[in-house]
Amino acid sequence: MTSSAGQRELTVGMGAGGLATADMVLNIGPQHPATHGVLRLRIVVDGERIVSAEPIVGYMHRGAEKLFEVRDYRQIVVLANRHDWLSAFSNELGVVLGVERMLGMEVPERAVWARTLLAELNRVLNHLMFLGSYPLELGAITPVFYAFREREELQAVMEEASGGRMHYMFNRVGGLKEDLPAGWLERVRYAVRAVRGRLPELESLIVGNEILEARTRGVGVLTAELIGAYGVSGPIARASGVDLDLRRDEPYLAYGELFGPSGPGRVVTRTAGDCLSRLEVLLEQVHVSLDLADACLERLHSLPQGPVNVRLPKVLKVPEGDLYTATENPLGLNGYYLVSRGEKTPWRLKLRSASFNNVAVLAEVLPGNLIADMVAILGSMFFVVGDIDK
Amino acid sequence: MSEPRTPRSGGALPGLLKGLATTARTLARPTHTTEYPDAPPHLPPRSRGVIALLEENCTSCMLCARECPDWCIYIDSHKETLPATTPGGRERQRNVLDRFAIDFSLCMYCGICIEVCPFDALHWSPEFEYSELDIRDLLHEKDRLGQWMPTVPPPPALDEHSAEPAEVAAANKPARPARAAGAPPPARAARAERPERPERPARAERPARAERPEGTARPEPPADSVPAEPPTPPSTASESGSAETKSPEPTSGEDQ
Repeated sequence: MTSSAGQRELTVGMGAGGLATADMVLNIGPQHPATHGVLRLRIVVDGERIVSAEPIVGYMHRGAEKLFEVRDYRQIVVLANRHDWLSAFSNELGVVLGVERMLGMEVPERAVWARTLLAELNRVLNHLMFLGSYPLELGAITPVFYAFREREELQAVMEEASGGRMHYMFNRVGGLKEDLPAGWLERVRYAVRAVRGRLPELESLIVGNEILEARTRGVGVLTAELIGAYGVSGPIARASGVDLDLRRDEPYLAYGELFGPSGPGRVVTRTAGDCLSRLEVLLEQVHVSLDLADACLERLHSLPQGPVNVRLPKVLKVPEGDLYTATENPLGLNGYYLVSRGEKTPWRLKLRSASFNNVAVLAEVLPGNLIADMVAILGSMFFVVGDIDK
Repeated sequence: MSEPRTPRSGGALPGLLKGLATTARTLARPTHTTEYPDAPPHLPPRSRGVIALLEENCTSCMLCARECPDWCIYIDSHKETLPATTPGGRERQRNVLDRFAIDFSLCMYCGICIEVCPFDALHWSPEFEYSELDIRDLLHEKDRLGQWMPTVPPPPALDEHSAEPAEVAAANKPARPARAAGAPPPARAARAERPERPERPARAERPARAERPEGTARPEPPADSVPAEPPTPPSTASESGSAETKSPEPTSGEDQ
């Protein structure tokens, strides 16, 4: 077995080359631990090798887009943060940003920076989840404990501010639900420092680990053409050298300044496009996000006294029109296409979620790989099934 | 499998050892976890555990039930007519809450009901240990919801950079001294009404007028607390006019 070459050969038995083999259809999922969630893969295998693969989605379809249409803009936030439960804050953000833009609403500066801070903490939380679960899928049990310890540290501060550990429900049209608690910024600073300080422990289990590298290097290579064709985005696209990050390219919130010439923001890219580089991008993004969080904390300390939300009318109606709002979610581009007919509910709210496209590309990547590598490739796509099925 | 065997088997061992080294380093450190049932978790006051109901504050205005994204709040109420307290006075109606139930098997813990409640009848409590063996038992009726009330923590102090509360900002507004200096004795009503709207300036004539837009704008029971004003003399009317947003106390006080 060579790890560098794209083709990996496994010859079993004597004279296997001459054996007539029949293709077998194998259903992975929908209830399979390796698919974390209810994703179903129908693969056709020739011996150990995958001939074709087809992701079958929809087992967790909840009709979120239709549900949005009968809920006002505060109630939508409740639903919007649930499709990708690992990046709830970023999901809420997309909805409220879209509504605010359509209303032409100015958000107070403190709210902008607090939102940026919380979004970056959420990104760290999301990435830590995959940094823990991906090695788990490859057979390494320990990293997940380290990852979850750091997650707990950050979840504690998120809960203190928002009251929730996963579904924060902290965004409102025009700002945040309520102001930050006293002393919270200090505790966030401490938590960020603690996470950054202990991250090397997690890294030492993942980076440069020979076993992990043997499983991931050169496996499941995604080319930039495939990424363009399937609309793959986020850390997966960046691992293949697609230098796209909405935080820098189409700045929202305070990212324009953070990704500016003197800001701490930088876009992490790799060129190999294999499972290992996807993991590396994720790991390095954690560092970048922690730096961004520090910069936000710095700014929140120096900002003058002010509100974090604006007073809303009793009945919030969005003027007629339509707008597409995209944000750089931890898993990729997350977009809401909001069509309003001037009522207090959207006429249509189309949700473009990152995981859907990121999983669709599996049909192209999996063929030619071994079944054992399928788990590695599947895990490295960093998807959330709720985000696929919506 | 035959040709690359050597680099791989040679490579796995250092990887294992490195991992074990990390484990060994953290071995002597105190644990990060706690034994949950014995050591209760420390939850912040904003933690969204369970919704507590302060029944006295509820006017069965139904706002929470209507705003709930999945409609898991059930409210039944009826109107009671109270006889006039003074001879020649008016009869008054008030809402009596018959049933208030939250179905926690449907609740999404978003907190919108608590946010929209105009009378602070609903509160978050960080309590979370109310799991049931039967899903139907997650429907908490009003007595059960009321039992959570003692567990509601006071809200945390806000960040030093936060905007001052609306009440403080209104109290510190320099408008009132300016008005007093401008024209103290005569024509108070006529002049004050135009420049400062939110200040409830015209004491003599305001109550009668103020109550109508209030009553029509929102279909909440302040409507039946406001009628409490006319019978009282104008001096107290101005007072209750200022307190009209948190009316349940005056209502219940005068009804009994």
